[in-house]
Formats: sequence, C-alpha cells, structure tokens
Amino acid sequence: MSPDPKSRWVWYDDERVLGWGSVAMVIIVWEVAARVSGVSSLYLPRPTQIVVSLIEMFRNGGLIVDLGWTLYRIFAGFGLAVVVGAGLGIWIATSFRVRAIADMFIAMLYPLPKVTLIPLLVIWLGTGGPFMLTISFLGAIFPIVINTVLGVRQCDPGLVLAARDLGASAQQIVRRVLLPSAIPSIFAGIRLGLGVSIILVVAAEMVVGKFGLGARLYLSGQILETEQVFAVLIVLATLGIVVTKTQDFIDKKLGRWRLA
Amino acid sequence: MTGPAVAVEIDSVGLTFGAQTDAPTVALQDVSCRFEPGKVTALIGPSGCGKSTLLQIARGFLEPTQGRLRFVEIASDAETSRPAMATVWQAFNLFPWLTVLENVAFGLDLAGVPRAERDARARKAIAAVDLNGFENRFPRQLSGGMRQRVGIARALVMEPDVLLLDEPFGALDAQTRLVLQEQLSKLVETSGTTAILVTHSIEEAILLADKIVVMTARPGRVCDTIDVTLPRPRSYATTHEPQYRVLFDRIYGLLRDEVMRAMIIESEGA
Repeated sequence: MSPDPKSRWVWYDDERVLGWGSVAMVIIVWEVAARVSGVSSLYLPRPTQIVVSLIEMFRNGGLIVDLGWTLYRIFAGFGLAVVVGAGLGIWIATSFRVRAIADMFIAMLYPLPKVTLIPLLVIWLGTGGPFMLTISFLGAIFPIVINTVLGVRQCDPGLVLAARDLGASAQQIVRRVLLPSAIPSIFAGIRLGLGVSIILVVAAEMVVGKFGLGARLYLSGQILETEQVFAVLIVLATLGIVVTKTQDFIDKKLGRWRLA
Repeated sequence: MTGPAVAVEIDSVGLTFGAQTDAPTVALQDVSCRFEPGKVTALIGPSGCGKSTLLQIARGFLEPTQGRLRFVEIASDAETSRPAMATVWQAFNLFPWLTVLENVAFGLDLAGVPRAERDARARKAIAAVDLNGFENRFPRQLSGGMRQRVGIARALVMEPDVLLLDEPFGALDAQTRLVLQEQLSKLVETSGTTAILVTHSIEEAILLADKIVVMTARPGRVCDTIDVTLPRPRSYATTHEPQYRVLFDRIYGLLRDEVMRAMIIESEGA
C-alpha cells in the first residue's frame, strides 16, 4: 500500500527505505544491546562478530563449497520436478482416467510432511546424491502438479473451441492453448515448490549430510560455534531473498500472460 | 472463397440433451434449412431457442441426435465433403497471450504456412478491418469493438468457404455495433463467402442477411423463412426505408409471441 496521497511526502516514505532501514535498525539495536548487557557470545554473538565469522568462513573456502552443494542438491531435484510436474499436470488435467488415478495418490501423498520420508529414503537410497535429488524432487513436485492441473482446468473453454475452429489438433491445443494459459498458475506452483525444496534439502543435510549448509549449521551448533550458526543462517536468508526476488522479476516479465 | 460453390443443408435435424436421463432437454426439433453459397443467412429467435446450438452442429462440434447435415455442391447437386469454415465468437475468444498479429496468424501457423506468407496475409486481414498500427498490441489493450475486429480478421484470414457468426456483436455497445455491422457487411460482400449469422437483433439480421430464418422458443423449430431483397450496400440509412419497416414489423410480430413463450419456459425451468 502506498501512503495516503493527502499526507505530505517524507523521505522515509519509500518502500526500500522502510524495508532496509528497519533491518538496519534491528541490527544496530542488537549490537548495542549485546555490548551493553554483556551477554555471552555463546548465546548471542554480536552482529559484528557474526560478520567476521562469515567472512572467515568464506575465506577459508568451506562455506562456498557448502553453498555449492546445497544449491546443486536443491536445483537438481527441483529442475526435474518442474519438467515432470508440468508434464504430469497437463496429462492429469486432460485425461479423465489419469485424473481419477492420480487424484488418489495426490490426496494421500500431498498432505504428508515430506520430512517424514527421510528415514525411509535413507534406507532405500543411502545418504548420497540420489537421496538428496529425491527429497528435493518430492518437495517441489506436488505444488507444481497441483497448480498445473488447476491452471489447465481454468483455461477458458472458448479459447479451446476457437483453436479447434482454426484447425488445431489435440496436441496443438495442449501446446498452443492449454499450456500458455496455465503459465501463471504453473509459476505459482514453481514458487511454492522451490520453497519446499529448499526447506527439505537443508533439513535433510542437517540429519544426514556431511557437506552443505544444513550440515554446516548442525555441526556448528554441536560445537557451540554460535557465530557460525548465525553466519549460515544469514547465507540461507540471503538465498531466500535472491530466490524470491528472482521469481518476482520473472513474474513481472510474464505479466503479458495475465488476462486483462 | 476457394472451393466450388457448396450449400450447407440442415436436414430434419433434432438435438436432445440427456436423452438417457429422466429429464431430457429437447434443444432442436425437426429443423430444416439451407444456407446458400455466397449468401448471408441469419438465424434469429428468442434466448435458448438453440440457434447457437444449430451453428455448432453446422460447424461439426456437435452431433445431432436426429436428422443430418449435408454439404451439396451446386454445380453437380452432389453431396461433397465439409467446406472450410471459420467462426467469429460473441466472447471474441482471442488468445490473451498473443499479439493482434499472432492471433490473426494463429490458424495459418497451425496449418504450417511459412512465416513470411503467414505474416503478409495476417497484415492484409488486419488492414481490412482497419486495425493497422495495432499489430503488436495485446487483446487486453484494445476496446471491445477492436477486439471483435481482430476476431473477424482471424476468421477471414483463413479464407473460409463458410463464415459462422455467433452473435458477433452481442457483447458490444449499440453504437459500436452499428459501425461494425456496416463494416462486416462490406467485408462479407467483397469476400463472397457464405455466412451464417446468429443474432438477437432484428436490425442486424435485416442489415446483413439475404435470408432470415426465424426460430421458435425451445424446442427450436423453424417458424418462418424470410427473404431480404433490400438493395446493397446497406447501411444505417437503410433502416429508414419503408421496406425495412415492413420486414422489421413482420419479424417482430413472429418473434414477440415466441419471446413471451421463451420467458414462460425459462421461468418454469428455473
């Protein structure tokens, strides 16, 4: 919401100033409070200590490698889920039989918290690459499938008729009408799916990983390196911001898909 | 028009929805009429009389439960295959993610027409509906009247033997409607295509059609067929001709009772 047009504009009435400014305020208050109260940095390290630790972790190389592992695990499974999820979603939406079958499986598996699958997946796949790929894939695929189905089924039947009238084959209707009209919905699913993938991969790393941000987070906590715990959290938060803003940007680019 | 002259014949067609259920709906009953090549035939009737349904049957999107559809070649009087058809829709049904040019070129693209030829033909059709300069706009950036001109261009670019017009101006305001009626009338005359026009508007039927088929309330049957011999080109001024008044009164007289009946049917069905 933009400010009331009648009120006078002031310099801080800017989305970025308010957003970043309040983050800066919290950090300053934190720093001052931690210094004044003299609380042990074992419980609450000061922001300056965390930054030093963060730079140190990046400099001796460890954190970059961990970040790389985590990103790789997230996006390998997520990428697969986008392709499989959108394809499966279209199939479910256009075929009565497939829908009837898939409905049951989705109803069973979608509400199941995917972290509960970690023990079983470890038994089946071990703790290596295939396990991470599967957990990331499972996190992303349900929101993508469900949103693709919704998007395709919400397509204006008039558009399908118009395409048929202009000579479209069944395959052309899927590719040229149903898919593009479902794009905004598919992207909403991709957004949700990527969020779940990130959560699951980091959680899985915490449980079984030797590398990756989750593993680093857990190990740092075990040895009471609280600055390092915070440093990893900052990396994760930054990852979240980058992902969200990138998706906002793509959404804006796809604005022309949206109906009037 | 590309092929030989072909008439579309609706032969004792009936359509019942839900025939296997307890409450079947008879949409059409024993409808026979003929759409002559190169002529504009209007289907007019009260709401729910099945005139749009009849159009869908002519297009082949709905199968009649009785009777049949025939395509008759005029020269030989022999039955032939379905002529090329294209539809202009009441709700426009433009693809919102495509530009005006891409919308108009859509059918040609599906048919595999090479890009250069496809674009040239689409641009010509866009010019024919006076939309030059709007090729790269998206449908949502256009007014209702402009959107329907895109719809008309998208159908005409396919050079159909039969143009199906399903209440093409039903969603437009009265003034836009008048202007587009004149424009469409000219386009249909110059293209020489057969046209079937479904409309609620007596005025539209008289201004555009060579023949008007008046239908009854549900179940839809043919109530009367009226030839319109008013000279062309017709325009708004035509509505002042005495012959226009006579036709209007005659059709209104036929429709009035049917519209009353349709209202009763609708209130009973509710």
